Amino acid sequence: MDLLSAALLALLVVGYLVLAGADVGLGMLMPHVARGPAQRRRVVAAIAPYFLASEVWLVAALGVLAGLFPALEHHAVVELWPVLTVLLAGWLVRDAGLWLRARVDGERWRLVCDGAIVAGSWTLAASWGLALAGLLSGGLAMNPFTLLCTVTVIGLFALRGSAFGAERLVGPAACGTDRDAECADVAAHGTRLIARATLGAAVLTTASALLSATPEAAGPPALALALLLSAVLAVTSGLLGPMLSRHTSAVAIAIPGLLVAVAAPLPSAPIPPTTAVFVWATLVPVVPVMFVGQVWLYRMTRRPADERTFFT
Amino acid sequence: MFEDPLLLARLQFALTAATHYVFVALTLGLAPYILTTQLIATVRGDRSRMTAVRFWGGLYLVNYGMGVLSGLVMELQLALNWSGLHAMFGYTFAAPLALETMTAFFVESTFLGLWIFGWDRMGRWAHLACFAVVTTTAYVSAWWVLVANGFLRDPVGFTMVDGVAHLTDPVALMTNPAATMAFGHVVTGSLLVGALVIAATSAHHLIGGDDGHGIFRRGIRYATLVLCVVPIPVAGFGGVQFELFDQAPPTSGLTYTATEIEAIESAAENGVLLQAANMTGDAVMMTAWTLMFLLGPVLLAAWPLGGLDRWRWLLAPLVLTPLLPYLASVGGWVFRETNRQPWTVVHHLTTADAVTPLSPGTAVVSFGFFTLAFAALAVITFWLLVRYARRGPDGGPLAERRTGEPDDPAASDGSQEPTAPVHTF
Repeated sequence: MDLLSAALLALLVVGYLVLAGADVGLGMLMPHVARGPAQRRRVVAAIAPYFLASEVWLVAALGVLAGLFPALEHHAVVELWPVLTVLLAGWLVRDAGLWLRARVDGERWRLVCDGAIVAGSWTLAASWGLALAGLLSGGLAMNPFTLLCTVTVIGLFALRGSAFGAERLVGPAACGTDRDAECADVAAHGTRLIARATLGAAVLTTASALLSATPEAAGPPALALALLLSAVLAVTSGLLGPMLSRHTSAVAIAIPGLLVAVAAPLPSAPIPPTTAVFVWATLVPVVPVMFVGQVWLYRMTRRPADERTFFT
Repeated sequence: MFEDPLLLARLQFALTAATHYVFVALTLGLAPYILTTQLIATVRGDRSRMTAVRFWGGLYLVNYGMGVLSGLVMELQLALNWSGLHAMFGYTFAAPLALETMTAFFVESTFLGLWIFGWDRMGRWAHLACFAVVTTTAYVSAWWVLVANGFLRDPVGFTMVDGVAHLTDPVALMTNPAATMAFGHVVTGSLLVGALVIAATSAHHLIGGDDGHGIFRRGIRYATLVLCVVPIPVAGFGGVQFELFDQAPPTSGLTYTATEIEAIESAAENGVLLQAANMTGDAVMMTAWTLMFLLGPVLLAAWPLGGLDRWRWLLAPLVLTPLLPYLASVGGWVFRETNRQPWTVVHHLTTADAVTPLSPGTAVVSFGFFTLAFAALAVITFWLLVRYARRGPDGGPLAERRTGEPDDPAASDGSQEPTAPVHTF
């Protein structure tokens, strides 16, 4: 039961990183890939169908953390209070931008909301980087490892976002004008550059971990994951990068989650059986509904959305 | 005042929870009405009712956005600022919240996304089913949250093992009267919120005489019925809970002995401010309830005389009446939560022990940012709701757009084949 619950927590965190990585990353890259109001609207139209359905994974992970792993939650809150508070602020600002963007028809209003989306996305990615460093080294510390780890995670989000943009910013509506098609090209081109930069950061992070900072985290499983990350990023850096990035970016951004699961020095306590049975017995009947909803939403919105929805 | 992190954390949570509830109540109050309207529209193929669904649905979404934002902040704030509560009662208090995030919120948000983006992409029955799931999970969500909240008031179904509460009886947790009665109270109270928002919007448009689709004629009749029926159970579910206030929870004595509990309760100087807040909350709730209770029969009497659509003197004041259920809701929560002090979990954990040890500086920064952000967002959302309610069915965020706008020739031809391969993700 304990192992199953831990697997559930890991699944929710990795699910969040893979799914939300796409829309958070694209939000970060909006100033780079979108020129002008029409292209910015396209970017938001690409993000909008997913942000609600991807952030619920994180909310669920937080719920599981609080209900089944209170000791772990306590550890995270004590060690990471400032980072998590900033993360929450970034999350709030980003989502407020998304919810409110289409509500007032004014160029300046949309500019402010787009600014909130971009700033919030960057804050989220950076906070996750700091949180990862803090969890891996058993507490926040101002050192090269923390800095490099944060840069790597920001790179992973950006890579995921550019891969997502390369796929989603093209479509029937974009073909009318060649200026729109540029968005996807810029994003596709970005995958290789970002993969290279992130590869460099990842290698340096691993090196700094090995050299000093976090001896307990740098065991064989962590090294294997770091190697896998470097390999995946190296593949994406090449000529085939834009083609492969859809899958490689997903694998790459999942690795920080797995790294925490297998290598971080985290406190653990056996879950009292009654609570575990209660949670699992209530959860299992609902899992099919959760699954159907997610799959349906992602399948339904595969085709580029109507330009004008509630969010755009 | 600003050098006490405990006070700031409490104030911050009170503001977050109050803001959250104000928007949640409208979500709960509108959802069944929208669902029923969409059901009738789907069965009969009724276009005017579908227009109504798009109109009320637009308001629902604007409101829902703020509900989600405040809910996210509330959940994280609960974890960040109240780690003492989680350390001791994670397996009991937070277990229902864990179930809420997965079985309710996860499903609700996903299916709401399907509903928003599915207007033209799925069959009308499937679209209706999506909103049925959204409505159900909204209520399931409220249920789990109140199971957790009821546990604070009346902790049941656990034993203490090394200072950590271990759940022994999930059934007692779920059938806790402090939770079930509160759920009944919140559900019926939310229906009043929804009904009076519908009544106010309808009255505004009926005064202006613009009701081409019959949306507002039907709206004010629904509100009349709700106002005649629902205030009684609201008072019933609320009144039963007064008895719980004076009872010691069945688990009393597991953490502190009776003398220790007495010492803690007498040592806590329940400040004048807290007392005043408690009494004001009670008084506001009761007054607002009485006014709503009297409003129902007045509207009912006007119905057969045709006054619901025509009498300006009756309709004009209705525009301001949503204030009543909102005041009653916030007043009720202030009353309930201040009544529990000095405890976070009655007879087990004091509020002072539940709070995360914070440095005054960080507490002030966090309090300042989230309070300002919430104030701004709440004001914007309120302004948007009023604006969309006044604009009517043609100007809402979900309003059907006429195809073939002159400036966009491509949009007029919906069957046009895409000229490039569709990339999927």
